[in-house]
Amino acid sequence: MNKPTVIRIICFTSVAALMSGCVTSRLENTREGTTGLAEGESVVIMAKSYHLGNETEAKYIRCIEDALGRGPKGMNVISNREFVDALFPWFEPRTAPAETKGLAKMMERPGVADKIKDMGVRYIIWLDGDTEKVASGGSLSCAAGPGGGGCFGFAWWQNTSDYDASIWDLNGLESAGSVSANVSGTSYLPALIIPIPLIARVQAKACKGLAEQLQAFIITDDAA
Amino acid sequence: MIAKPRTVVSAISILFILTGCGSHVTLEPPTIPAPNINRIPITVAVRLPENFEDFTHVEDVLGSEEWTIHLGRSNAVFFTQLLGYMFDNVIMLQADEDPEKYDFDALIEPSIDAFEFSVPNQTKTDAFAVWIRYRIKVYDRNGVMVANVPISAYGKSLTTTMGGSSALKRAAVLAMRDAAALMIIKFDDQSLFASLGNPSTQLPAVAEEKVEDEAEAQAVVLGGSSNE
Repeated sequence: MNKPTVIRIICFTSVAALMSGCVTSRLENTREGTTGLAEGESVVIMAKSYHLGNETEAKYIRCIEDALGRGPKGMNVISNREFVDALFPWFEPRTAPAETKGLAKMMERPGVADKIKDMGVRYIIWLDGDTEKVASGGSLSCAAGPGGGGCFGFAWWQNTSDYDASIWDLNGLESAGSVSANVSGTSYLPALIIPIPLIARVQAKACKGLAEQLQAFIITDDAA
Repeated sequence: MIAKPRTVVSAISILFILTGCGSHVTLEPPTIPAPNINRIPITVAVRLPENFEDFTHVEDVLGSEEWTIHLGRSNAVFFTQLLGYMFDNVIMLQADEDPEKYDFDALIEPSIDAFEFSVPNQTKTDAFAVWIRYRIKVYDRNGVMVANVPISAYGKSLTTTMGGSSALKRAAVLAMRDAAALMIIKFDDQSLFASLGNPSTQLPAVAEEKVEDEAEAQAVVLGGSSNE
């Protein structure tokens, strides 16, 4: 690699690092049973019901679905909508079981056990939580005239992503455990004529972290 | 006579200004997935009200824009699909048709008691929410009402990069799916329909779940108007 290319890479990396805000994260898990994923088995990601006040974003569910399918521990993920439609109406926000003890009754519904078996769903992962702006401050003003325009000032805001994932094992109709991700970050927007956003990608970090934890939780090194 | 260009431009501008203060959403009839249930082995006649063929609701958001949702034939399509999945045989009647011409075990008459929705401006969240309260009346083959059941359904969808109208449509579809789930649960106990299908069985008492106060039903539609 020649010298100008190396300098360009260093500059690009430095700018990218400067352009992102500060992020802190905490990931935890609690295990209740042994896990593993055999050939042909899949997982499905569900959001806890909005009837219970949950507001997990559809974008976050899709992010987790994508992330779980990638990497050396990538697993087969059934899309949320495909699963909910196939088992209609037993996984709608109003009818989905809130606890594992409701699973046995659910499996007795006509066609439910057969469809779950056909799709090879071994685990249902229930997501709960959301990303919120918890604080903000500063001031920024922009103006434009015939001679041009510009902005001046400084603004900041802090976002927190707090998500819990409960893992239900459909083999034993019991809880396998839970994984949680708490990510907090502050974004900055200084402006001297041109605003320069330094964005803390809190939700993306929470998605990547939770997905990696879920992969490590379900596919243990012994099973992998 | 050909209108002058200035007149045409003015007319278009005025029209643009008038429509610029509101949002109009048109819902395509939803497709309800085939439910995982055992069909109830009876023949039902279904009489849908006229407004199920063309339903529009307008919501005036205080201090903000006016939102209109045009459901069109969505309610008619929804009930035709759902009841077709729930019962062995379904006879669809016109709104003004006399059911006595047909042989059936039960007559089902759905209607809309109330329709309401909220937009993010009102709730200070990123969510659109839709509430629909249907009323399902069931009559036996002699025209005696045997059930009068309200179905209060709710759907909620977060605003996406696709914009508010797609979130509102999604919330409406989720509310209809919620109504379908509720109807299936409420009619899951097949004793009512089993006795309707067997004339020798004594009919159950009228299963009526009324809203506590009629004013409550009206209160739900405050802030909006529908062709109910």
